[in-house]
Amino acid sequence: MLIINNLQVRYGNQLALSIKAPLTFDDGDRIGIIGSNGAGKTTLVKSILGLINYQGNITTDLKPEEIAVHMQHNHYVNTMAVKHIMETILNTRIKRNRALQELISFFDFEECLNKKYSALSGGQKQRFTIILVLIQDAPLVFFDEVTSGLDFETRQKLMSKMAAWYRNKNTTLCVVSHYYEELEQLVNKILILEEGQVVDFGNKEELFRKYCGNTVITIDNNQRNIDLTKNLIKIKAPDHLIALSCQSSSIEKEVTELLIREDINYKRSNNDIEIMSINAKARFFERKTGGIAHAEKTA
Amino acid sequence: MQKKQLNWKLVQYELRNISGNIFVIVFGVIFPILMSVLFSFVFKSSVPELLYTEIVTSVFITMSMIIPMAVLLIGYAANYSQELEKDIPLRLNLFGFRERTMLLAKMIAYLIFTTGSFLLYAGVDILLLDLQVPKPGSVLCLIASLYALSVILFILAHGLATLFKKFGPTYAVSMILYFGFMILCGMMGVTVDQLPSALKAIAKVLPMSYISSDYIKFWQGGKYNFAPLIQAYLFFGAVSAIILLLSFRKNQRKIK
Repeated sequence: MLIINNLQVRYGNQLALSIKAPLTFDDGDRIGIIGSNGAGKTTLVKSILGLINYQGNITTDLKPEEIAVHMQHNHYVNTMAVKHIMETILNTRIKRNRALQELISFFDFEECLNKKYSALSGGQKQRFTIILVLIQDAPLVFFDEVTSGLDFETRQKLMSKMAAWYRNKNTTLCVVSHYYEELEQLVNKILILEEGQVVDFGNKEELFRKYCGNTVITIDNNQRNIDLTKNLIKIKAPDHLIALSCQSSSIEKEVTELLIREDINYKRSNNDIEIMSINAKARFFERKTGGIAHAEKTA
Repeated sequence: MQKKQLNWKLVQYELRNISGNIFVIVFGVIFPILMSVLFSFVFKSSVPELLYTEIVTSVFITMSMIIPMAVLLIGYAANYSQELEKDIPLRLNLFGFRERTMLLAKMIAYLIFTTGSFLLYAGVDILLLDLQVPKPGSVLCLIASLYALSVILFILAHGLATLFKKFGPTYAVSMILYFGFMILCGMMGVTVDQLPSALKAIAKVLPMSYISSDYIKFWQGGKYNFAPLIQAYLFFGAVSAIILLLSFRKNQRKIK
């Protein structure tokens, strides 16, 4: 569907994005695009949409109008009720469009139709654009930080609704997000970007196995737990946690038995995107600094 | 998702957008009526009775140009620059509307709105003021001139807003142009002939100068040399078109 090769984006003298090896987005892929602030996520989306100048190749058989996008910030005029904006964008009448009525109802948006855009809450604003994006039924859809600024409950509701909407559909989704738990229910591939470069791209489970093993057990990071797990295989984790990597089910059994015996609460996961990405990035930086050190040595 | 074509719904949307802008209503609809009525009352006691209807008619012709200048040059530039600041045209573009389609819908909507404002202005002034009865050809000439001016001002306003992409500088430049045009073209009480020679030379390349000073001369018949007026229209139109093309070029999407 879309191949990115040798892509470079510069903002002035700064290299904002550099993708050397080809990246391929296939039909039906559900891709989570993650990375720190300034990693190049939105720059990548804008490049694909042709909104910024770039060097290199983005090859696709899609026309621009076949790509739908929910941008990070979406604004509309405040001079009329949102139902008029909706009817104009979709060139339809809500009263006569069954599919649109269902989608409005699906996102509980009926009561907002007569309000101006500025009068909508953050969640309602997001839902408004989501409805407009979903009803287009485009083969490739981007959601750029669709839930940023929303509270936990609203985020969860929104993502469950989106997951339900795209179930059994062959749409290619690219979801940019900082909230890993949202991606877990929506995507099957992960693209990790950092400092404008690709850390890794692949199937969610494969990446997890590559960087975390079969499963990961996480426990609180305190002295007792550090002492207890000093002989176990640990991988990088957020500061408040200790992540124990289990390469096989027998190791996992030993670890969990130990934790139960010691009455320690733990969490098991075989798809934790956050821990996977932390470890992927750590290895990426090791390679990078290793590369630099090696180059310096050779010189 | 299909490429969105120009349709009536899009024009309706733009009409709602214009009507929701209080500035356009005040300065593009109410202000010209107030100005023409106010000037005619002021002149009633200060000019000889024989000249009164001619002067009031001249004020009516001159003030009619405030409508396109306020609605398009200021109102549209302000409205559209605010939209650009919030990336609203980009948002619509990403929903499949081509920039040209949106531009055409805006132009049609603004011309419809301007027509409504002209009709209201003419209706109120005919009822309240003692205007000279024109020759049909003169009225048609004024109408054609006002529409040509509206289209050029629309192009200029769109170009300015798209080039600056921010409300502040767009509003500042359009206000400078608005008051500049008003001063140069005889709408602020100083006629073109009374201007210093350098300013008069600038005024002569603006079609508004000819409308405000010359149209009264053939309002009730007579001959008029349209060549300088047409030249002024061509020059003003060309400058506006160049600004618009530059703005298109600056905002082109890389994928077609």
